[in-house]
Amino acid sequence: MAKLADSVQVNAIPSARKRALHRTNVTGWLFASPWAIGLLCFYAIPMLMSIYFSFTTYSILQPGEFVGMNNYRDLFHDPLFWKSIYNTIYFTVFFVPLSIFFGVALAMMLNMKVKGMAIFRTIFFLPTLVPQVALAVLWMWLLHPNFGLVNGMLAHIGIDGPSWLGGEAWSKPSLILMSLWGIGQAVVIYLAGLGDIPDEYYEAAQIDGANWFQKTRKVTLPLLTPVIFYNLVMGMIGAFQQFTLPYTLTKGQGTPANSMTFYVMYLYENGFRYFKMGYASAMAWILFIIVMALTGIIFITSKRWVHYQGK
Amino acid sequence: MGRSKKFAFPILVYFLVMLLLVTACSTKGDSSDQAGEGNTTVTMWHGLTSIDLDNMNKVVKAFEEKNPTIKMKLVYTESSEGSDQKLLTAVAGGNPPDVALFDRFKVGTWAAQGSLTDLSSMAAESGIRKEMYYPFAWEESSYQGKLYAMPMDTDSRLLFYNKDHFKEVGLDPNKPPQTIAELEAAAEKLTIKEGKRFKRIGFIPWYSQGWLYTWGWAFGGEFQDAATGKITANDPKVVEALQWMTDFGKKYNVEDIAGFTSAAGTEEMDPFISGQVSMKISGNFTVKGIEKFKPDLNYGVAPIPTPTGTNFTTWSGGGSAIIPKGSKNVAAAWKFLEFLGKEEGQTLLNADSQISVIDSVNDKYGYKDDPIMKEFINILPNSHNRPVIPEGQLLWNELASATEKATRGNGTPKENLDRVTETVNKALEKYDK
Amino acid sequence: MNPTAIKRINRALAYVCLIIASAFFMIPFIWLLSTSLKPLTQIFTFPPEWIPHPILWSNYSRAVEYIPFWTYLKNTAIITIVSTLGVIISCPLVAYSFAKLEYRGRGMLFFVTLAVMMIPGQVTMIPLFLLFTKLGWVGTPLPLIVPQFFGVPIYIFLLRQFFMGLPDALREAARLDGASEFRIYLQIMFPLAKSAVLAVALFQFMGSWTDFMGPLLYLTNEPSYTVSLGLQQFQSQKGSEWGLLMAVSTLMTLPIIVLFFFLQKTFISGITFSGIKG
Repeated sequence: MAKLADSVQVNAIPSARKRALHRTNVTGWLFASPWAIGLLCFYAIPMLMSIYFSFTTYSILQPGEFVGMNNYRDLFHDPLFWKSIYNTIYFTVFFVPLSIFFGVALAMMLNMKVKGMAIFRTIFFLPTLVPQVALAVLWMWLLHPNFGLVNGMLAHIGIDGPSWLGGEAWSKPSLILMSLWGIGQAVVIYLAGLGDIPDEYYEAAQIDGANWFQKTRKVTLPLLTPVIFYNLVMGMIGAFQQFTLPYTLTKGQGTPANSMTFYVMYLYENGFRYFKMGYASAMAWILFIIVMALTGIIFITSKRWVHYQGK
Repeated sequence: MGRSKKFAFPILVYFLVMLLLVTACSTKGDSSDQAGEGNTTVTMWHGLTSIDLDNMNKVVKAFEEKNPTIKMKLVYTESSEGSDQKLLTAVAGGNPPDVALFDRFKVGTWAAQGSLTDLSSMAAESGIRKEMYYPFAWEESSYQGKLYAMPMDTDSRLLFYNKDHFKEVGLDPNKPPQTIAELEAAAEKLTIKEGKRFKRIGFIPWYSQGWLYTWGWAFGGEFQDAATGKITANDPKVVEALQWMTDFGKKYNVEDIAGFTSAAGTEEMDPFISGQVSMKISGNFTVKGIEKFKPDLNYGVAPIPTPTGTNFTTWSGGGSAIIPKGSKNVAAAWKFLEFLGKEEGQTLLNADSQISVIDSVNDKYGYKDDPIMKEFINILPNSHNRPVIPEGQLLWNELASATEKATRGNGTPKENLDRVTETVNKALEKYDK
Repeated sequence: MNPTAIKRINRALAYVCLIIASAFFMIPFIWLLSTSLKPLTQIFTFPPEWIPHPILWSNYSRAVEYIPFWTYLKNTAIITIVSTLGVIISCPLVAYSFAKLEYRGRGMLFFVTLAVMMIPGQVTMIPLFLLFTKLGWVGTPLPLIVPQFFGVPIYIFLLRQFFMGLPDALREAARLDGASEFRIYLQIMFPLAKSAVLAVALFQFMGSWTDFMGPLLYLTNEPSYTVSLGLQQFQSQKGSEWGLLMAVSTLMTLPIIVLFFFLQKTFISGITFSGIKG
C-alpha cells in the first residue's frame, strides 16, 4: 500500500515540479533575453571573428591567408611580446592591490556622516572627469625631472627626485601613481556598497561593545566583499588592458627602452600600424586565456571570502 | 495566465521604445549627399584646423569655380599621427571617402595592401609629371614605380641654435657649427651643470628630429640598397652615426639628460623654447611654434653638421592626398587632386603655413628672402626621403628602439642595427611573392 | 579613554587624511581650470603659475566659437541620455536574473558575460565595425545607443553583485502574496538596488559623455559630431590651442560634477529592513 502511494507520489511530483521548473526557466530567460541577443550580436560574433582572424594573416585591408598556429608560434619567439607581458604583469601586481586598499580606505573615510562630505566626495571623483589628453600633458609637466612640481617639492625636503618618465626604473611606478588618481570610480562603487550595509548591524555590534577596528573587521569588510570582489576582477581585467595613458605619454613608442610597452599597446601597434591584425588577434586571445584563468582562480577562492547578505 | 500577461506588457513597451528609437535615429542620420542633377559630390576626410583649414577652404572654392559640376564635402576626422583607425575601418568596411589627406610616409604600406588607387595613368593624362616636384616628394608618393598619392606639402630639418646662448659663452652667433667636431665643442661650451643637475644642455643629438635617419644620412650612410630594395640599417656609416650618438650619451650620461627629452612631449614644453637646451635638430614646423610661444627667442638655423663640414643634407616628409580603393567617384576625386598638385592649388594651399612641393611656389611665397625659411628651402634639393617599403612603420619603430638601446648601453650600435636590418628584411620577404 | 573621545580622535584623524589627500586629488582639476584661463605663453612656464594674470575669460568665448560647441553639446547630450536610459532599463533586469532567478544555462551565460570583457576592444573593434556597416548604421549614432538597450557586461556584473546582497526573504514574502517575478523585480528589488543603479547610470553617463573612439568611427557627418570629437580640433601637429582646449574640457566636466554632487546622497543612503524582521 505504501509502495503504491509512494509510486503515485513519485509520479505526480515530477510533473508538477517539471512545470514549475519550466516556468522558472522561461522567466529567467525572459529576463535575460535582451542580453542574450545583445551578447550574441555585439560581442560574441565579433569575438568569434577575431578568433578566426588570429589564425590568418588578416591585415584589415586584406583578408590574408589561413596560417594555422603560425601567429601564436611567432609570438612565443617575439622578445617584445614577452617584455610587454612583463610590463603588464608588473603594473597589475602593484596597481590592483594598491587600488583596492586605498579605494576602500578612502570610501570608508568618505562615508562618515560629517558635514561637507559631499564636497570631499566630489573632489575625489574629479580626476576621473578630466579628459585623457589633458591628463597626459599635465603629468608630463608635473613629472618633469628638473622643473616639475613633484621634484620641486621633493627638493624642498632634500630629496633628489629621479627622472620619473625618463628612466626605466621609474617609468612604470609613475604610471601606477597616475592610475591611482583614477580610483574615484571604484570609490563610488565602494560607497554604494557601504550604503547597503544596514545600520542595524552596526548598532548590534555597538551594543556588544565592539570598537571601531572590530566593527570594521566583523561588519564592514565582510559585507563589502561582494563589491571588493567586483573591483578585484574588474581591476585586474582593466590593468591587463592598460592602453590609453601609456600610449599617449610615450606616443606609442613605449619609451624609455620599451619599459612602457604594455601588452595592449603592442597589440595595437601590430594591428593598426604594422597591419598584422591576425597577429594582434592572436595576442588578444592569449591575453584572454591568461585573464580567464586568473579570474577563474579568483572566483573559486571567492567562495571562501565573499559573503552575500541575501543568502 | 495573469503572470504572462503582466510580463508581456513590459516587454512590449520595451520593444516599442526600441522601434521608436530606430525610426527616430534614422531620420537623424546623414543628410543625403544630393548634389543636384548632373553633379558629383566628392567627400574628403581631413585633419586640418585653423589656418590650414582656412587655406583648404580657399582651395575648394577656387576648385569648385573651375569645376562647377563637382561639389567638395570636407569632413573633419582626427589627425593625430598614425591614428588612421577611421580610414582603415572605412576602407575595410567598403565605404571609404573619395579623398583622404594622408601622411606620405604611409603610402608604401597602404599601396602594398592594395588600398590606394593607382594614379599613374590619370597623372600622365593631366600633365602631372615627376619633374614638377621635389624628387623626394614624388619618390615617397610612389610605390613600385606607380604614383599613389598627390604630394601636397613638405618639410625639412636643420640645426636650430640659440644665438643669445652663443653670445653668452663666447661663440660667434653668425658662425654656427658645421662639422661634428665643432658641434661637440660648442655643445660642451654651452652646457651648464650645477652639481648633479644640468641647468642647461648644449645639445642632445636624439632630441626632437634627431632620429637615426637624420644622423645616418648626415654621416653619409644609406638606409636602403637602391638596386635590391633591401634595408641597410647596418650600413657602416649609419653604424658610425649611432656610435657617435652613443658616445655623446655616455659623455653626458644618458639618464641625466633623458629628463629633458622625455618630458618634452609637446611643442609647448620644448626645452629649446624655454632655454634649457641651446641647440636642437628640428623641422620648419617648429618655427610657427616658436612664433606662438616665444616670439622673442633669438635663434638661427643652419644645415645639420656632418663629419666633414660638407655635403649637407636632410630628410623630408609631408602630406599628400590619396584616393582610397572603393571610392565611387574616382574621376571627380582625381580632378581635385590634380588641382591640389598644380601651381594654383599649391599656392592657395600652403600660404603662410607650409612649404610647397613645387619650388616656384616657394619662390612666390618669398620664403627665399626670409633669413630662417630660406635655409629650409635651400637644403631641399639635397633632401632624402625615407625608404618606401611596405613596412615603413616597423622600420621606424625598430630604428627608434635601436637608438634607445644603443645609447643606453644595451648592445653595441652594430649589434642593434644588425638586428634591425634582419628583422625588417625578414618582414619584407612576405611581400616578394 | 571614553568611547566618544576615541570616536572624535578617529574622526579628526580621518579628516586630516582626507584634507591632505584631497589636495593631491584636486591638482589635475585646478590645473585644468587654471590653464583654461591662461594665454598660450603662460601655460608651460617653469616654475608653474597657478593663478593666471591676466585672467583670460575670452578663452571660453573663443573656444565655443572655434568649434560648433552648442551643436556638439546637444548631440552629446542626446546620445548620452538615451544610452544611459538603455543601460538603466536593460542591465538591472539581466543582473537580477543572474542573481536571483534560477534557470538552465544561467551559469554558462554568466560565464560568457565575463568572458567578453576579457578581450581587448582593439581586436573586436574591426569586426564590430563591419557588422554595423552591414546593418547600415555607420554614419548614424545608432551604434552608440542601441547596444546599451541590450545590456553592458560591466554593469550587469556589478548589479548582479548588488542583487545578490538583497535578502531572499523579501522575494519569498512577496511570492506568497501572489506577485509575479516581474512585479517583484520592478516594485521591490529594483528600488532596493537604487544606489547601485544610480552608480551604473553615472558611469554610463560619464563613459558616453567622454567617449571618443565610438563617435570617431561611427559619425561621419560633422553636424552630428560630439564634443569629444570637437576637442580634437584644438590639437594639431603644429601646437595645440591648450587654453581653449582646457576651457572646453572644463565646460564638459561641469555637468557631471553637478550631477555627481546632487546624486551622491543616494549612494550613501542605507537601506532599512524594518517590517521584514521576525
